[in-house]
Amino acid sequence: MPDTQWPRYMVFVQEQEKDPWRHYGTVHAPDADMALLNARDVFARRPQALGMQVVPAKLIFGKTLEELENPNWANEEIIGKSENYLIFAKPFEQSPCEQLGQVKANSSQDALKKALQNFPDQKALWWWVIPGSELSASDDADADSMFAPAFEKTYKNQAEYHTVTLMRELHDTGKLES
Amino acid sequence: MYGADVEQVAIELNEDPQQLEDFEARIARGEKIEPGDWMPKEYRRQLIRMISQHAHSEVVGMLPEGAWITRAPTLRRKLILIAKVQDEGGHGQYLYHAAETLGATREEMLEALLSGKAKYSSIFNYPTLNWADIGTIGWLVDGAAIMNQTMLARASYGPYSRAMVRICMEENFHKKQGQEMVIFYSQGTAKQREMIQDAITRWWWPTLMMFGPHDSDSPNSAVLTRWGIKTRSNDELRQDFINQLVPDLQACGLVIPDPDLHFDEESGNWQIGPIDWDEFWRVVKGIGPRNKERLAARNKAHDDGLWVREALVAYAEKQATS
Repeated sequence: MPDTQWPRYMVFVQEQEKDPWRHYGTVHAPDADMALLNARDVFARRPQALGMQVVPAKLIFGKTLEELENPNWANEEIIGKSENYLIFAKPFEQSPCEQLGQVKANSSQDALKKALQNFPDQKALWWWVIPGSELSASDDADADSMFAPAFEKTYKNQAEYHTVTLMRELHDTGKLES
Repeated sequence: MYGADVEQVAIELNEDPQQLEDFEARIARGEKIEPGDWMPKEYRRQLIRMISQHAHSEVVGMLPEGAWITRAPTLRRKLILIAKVQDEGGHGQYLYHAAETLGATREEMLEALLSGKAKYSSIFNYPTLNWADIGTIGWLVDGAAIMNQTMLARASYGPYSRAMVRICMEENFHKKQGQEMVIFYSQGTAKQREMIQDAITRWWWPTLMMFGPHDSDSPNSAVLTRWGIKTRSNDELRQDFINQLVPDLQACGLVIPDPDLHFDEESGNWQIGPIDWDEFWRVVKGIGPRNKERLAARNKAHDDGLWVREALVAYAEKQATS
């Protein structure tokens, strides 16, 4: 067997109850279960997650604004089957790439065409459509053990360190007050 | 050639002049280039080189500090150091991901690191000789990295820029925990003051070298600047760092190991003496104090993990077919 770093999985995180799913990055893993564990270690080292989803990165169909200017994009080889597709877009540079909704479609291209119709005024630097059947989500029953421990690790918060005050004391009086 | 006009550059790089002009216009408008967008081959090549080196630096950077986890003097310091080293591993993952969006594979990047072909930041080829080095690395080394990464957070390539934003947020914890440690030791017992002075003396010059050669000796700088990957020069960043750090280190009562260091009223800058560039290039070329050990440690970890990679693939294949 040749050595491998395993395939890439794209990682999505829900931070708060009312938040949409947001794109966070990728991890490498041999399967979806391991991808979720690796994603927890890489992307939830600080308190910010309620749940996670992963999908093999190669199954995401995406187009940037620039790519959509070429009208031939919809005629490329058809990818995917008839099912529900999740629609993701990144509206502006300063905003996250997040889920807008979902559509039932015959293929990834079809899903993207429908997304562009359903959200005609949506600003997007790029669009992604993701076959819903390929997503794997963290189990709600595991959420506590996966995400809660980070809440108690307050020493990871830079505001815990009063270096500005300490430096001011040293500059003003040449020693620490406390 | 990178000061030349767009047509000249297009000929040199064998790119379509119109595409190159459109690309440069996007960068001039402050737009981010995204995976899938058209980009010059040289832009892609430079980014893969730079981002993968950056990723390797995060991963190798776990080694000098990781060596002190078992010897941390208090439980609080041990927790902080474990979290910091784990963060660095995470930063490596964010960066490898950014390089992968350009078509580089994880396997080829790791191979380049493990074989010694790829570079990583030379600072991690220096040894951590006493516990006070941990605080010094946090304040000086992570502080210098933040200066550089704050600039790169504005880079023209979207995935690199966004990785930097996230990394900078987490690095501020690294810097401040280190600064706190240096402050307390500098005001502590005679032994603590001696330890922290020893650490500052050893790390001062290597930290200043982290910003890279003078602008005149930096072969990749022109193209990186032309395409908005770097927006400030090595020397500018280094001077800002020195100006920030010198008054604070002096307020701590610490001695900076540079007899030529002085404040220049005219420019408003702290002027340093000459940097030993012979030492810099020696370490870059692999003859630094710990180059061999760092690579050997990475290779051992990779080799020791082989059976885990194989076992997990075998398990995944069995699950998929059952």
